[in-house]
Formats: sequence, C-alpha cells, structure tokens
Amino acid sequence: MSAIVAHELTQRFGSDVALDAVDLALDRGEHLAVLGDNGAGKTTLLRILATAARPTSGRLEIFGLDSVRERKALRARIGFVAHAPGLYPALSATENLEFFCALHDVDRKRVPEVLALVGLNDVAGRPAGRLSRGEQQRLAIGRAILHNPRLLVLDEPDASLDAQGPDLLATVMRERTVVLATHDHALANRLCQRTMVLRDGRSLGAGTHLRVVR
Amino acid sequence: MNRSIAVAYAVARKDLTSEWRTRELVPALGQFVVLALVIANFGFQIDSRNATVIAPGVLWLALVFAGLVAFGRAFAAEREQASLEAMLLTPASAAAVFAGKAVAAALLLIACEAVLLPALALMFGTPFNAALVAAVLIATIGMAALGCLFAAMVARVRSREVLLPLLTLPLWIPFIVAGGQAVQVAMGAGGSYNQAVALLIDFDILFVVLTSLAARFVLDD
Repeated sequence: MSAIVAHELTQRFGSDVALDAVDLALDRGEHLAVLGDNGAGKTTLLRILATAARPTSGRLEIFGLDSVRERKALRARIGFVAHAPGLYPALSATENLEFFCALHDVDRKRVPEVLALVGLNDVAGRPAGRLSRGEQQRLAIGRAILHNPRLLVLDEPDASLDAQGPDLLATVMRERTVVLATHDHALANRLCQRTMVLRDGRSLGAGTHLRVVR
Repeated sequence: MNRSIAVAYAVARKDLTSEWRTRELVPALGQFVVLALVIANFGFQIDSRNATVIAPGVLWLALVFAGLVAFGRAFAAEREQASLEAMLLTPASAAAVFAGKAVAAALLLIACEAVLLPALALMFGTPFNAALVAAVLIATIGMAALGCLFAAMVARVRSREVLLPLLTLPLWIPFIVAGGQAVQVAMGAGGSYNQAVALLIDFDILFVVLTSLAARFVLDD
C-alpha cells in the first residue's frame, strides 16, 4: 500500500525552479534515499514532504491524505529532521522533549525512553545550547520520533553524527516509511532499499542504489 | 479547547523559562525605560504643575518602544534558532501557539512596567495608584496581541526591525489615546476614567479576537 504518491511536484521561487515536476511513489515501510549535489532540490523536496512548504503546483498524498488540505492531520504522522536542529538552547534536553510532548499531546513518560534511544541519557539535564553539535542532532532526531510517526523525513541526519550515527538511524528508521536526503552513498546503500537522484530540481530516476548510481 | 489551553500554557512557560535563565530581555528593557524617564525628566523640565500633563505621554512613549523590542524578540528568537518551524510542524493549533507567545511577551512587558510605573512616580512626583496600574495592564493585553501578530508576520523578513514599528505603531494609536486619557485621569486630571477604560477593553476584545483569527494565516500559511 502506498505511503507517498507525488505527481509532478514543482516548487518555484520567483523565476527559479527549485523542483521541476518530480513524481514519486513510496510504499509503506519503504526507505528512500534522495541523492544530489548542493542545490539539486533535495531540501525543497523534503520540506514539501514534511508539509513545511507548499508546492507551487503538483499533487502530493501521504497515507491517502492531501498534503495541503489535510496537513494538520498529517503532521501527527510525520517526523522531520531539518538542516538546523531547531532546539531551545536554554532548556535542557529533557525540557526540549517535554515541550514537544505538550505540542504533540504525547505523555511525558515517553521522554526518558526517547533519550535512551538516541543515547542522551547522560546529558538529559544539560541545556541544549551546551550540547555538542552531534548531541544536538541526536536530540533533534529524538524530537522527530517523539510522537511515534509513521513517516520520517530526514534531511542529512548524518551531519555531525559520530561513528555510531548510522546505527542510531537504522534503529529509528525501523518499521517506518523514510525519506532520507544525504551525500553519503554508503549510508544510502546501507539504510535504504531505493534511491532517487535529483539534479537541478529534476528527478533522474529512482531504483535500487547500484542501478541509479550507475 | 483544553488542548489549546495546554499548548498555549506550554509555549508561554517555555518562553518565560528561557527568559528567566538567559535574562536577555527584561533587564535590558528595565534599564531602557529608566533611562527614557531620566532623559524625559531633563528634556521636559518637569515640575509639580506640568507633571500630570507630561508624565502620561512619557509613560506611553517608553512603553511603546519597550513593547516593540519585547514583541519583536518573541518571534525573532524562534526564527534565529530555527525552532518556530519545528513548533508549527506539530498538530498544535497555530492560534494556541500564538496565544502562548503573546501571553509570554505580555508578561515580560508587565515585568518592565513593574519598573516603569514606580520609577515614573518617583521621578515625576505623580500619583502611583491602582487605577493607573489597571489602565496600563488593560492596554498591555491588546498591544501584546497586535504586537505579536505583526512580529510573527515580519519575522521572516530581513528588514523586520524597520517594518515592525511601521506596521504596529499606527494600530497602537487607539491604545495610546484611550490609555493616555485613563492615565491622565488616574494622575488627577479631569475626565472620565471609566469611559477611557471601557474603550480600552473594547479595543482589547476586538484585537484579541482579530489576531487569534489571523494567527493561523500568519504562522502556518
């Protein structure tokens, strides 16, 4: 059953075309890596999939819901890790997650569980502003899975993560539909069944990693 | 409804906790309003005869500029931290998020008023009474709603420091006019205090309702 069906997604910023008629179909539980050079349109595509941006034209359905008209309902089912961690530096790791529990209407008891999962138990009381960049990224990943979303949209989540990063990503991606943008082909090959390559906003095709890279 | 209140409470609590720990805004605003009073005291050559006429104007000028800084920071900080998007990509209603931000910004401005009003009475020798405090607090509600709405609107714009006063000040004029009249009466001048305060309450209701309705379009669209 389809998790994502996108038809001719296009995003324009003035006269610039950031995304040009991209089609995409992803089954539930499938993992898709989005590869491409800087400025290829990866972040634009991921922001649209996360309902953070509206496409200029085209149609997008996620779990059978329209991404524009029904985005409120969709947001409870999507977890998004953006480029910037977007944390509150004066609040501790625990307080950051507790705040998002309130916004997602999730029980606070989930916080220690998530902190343990992303390996931040030891620094749970430390202000987010005093965490290392890698720890902040782990916290952002924790926030994205706090409400147990069915779809994870990850924009270069491996940035700043240490050697255990891929294992953490594999754990949080388990049993979820995932779209992951990365420059790391090895990571894409390890974590995703399919790969899509973008160039100048256009899709060069999607398939198994080796086929697409060739 | 309960869900919206819980979200607004969480947002306000988060903003106030952050301010309490960093102390970025309130100490600076407190110093600013005291300095504004000192400058006005020298500039206007205030004495016991003209104090009740000039003091309300000085009060509102200091309050308006302190408010612009307080409300401007409410959304600019979220934008700098890239945390506003994370907050809006939750199922929480944009109106509840906005209400939480507005309540926190209003409370920060009230903390600044707690310095401003006694300092005004001390320097200008004007009365400091419950009627004066009530008029300023009532005006703060509507000013916070409007100020936060425009702050949210311009937060994405590079020239937000210029745009925020340009958009906000014209719509704050009713609060300054009615609030100025209420404060003058509270300080002993003639006129109807009840009429001025009733007008302030009307403006509060009008702008709180309008900004709550507009918040969704400003924050989410």
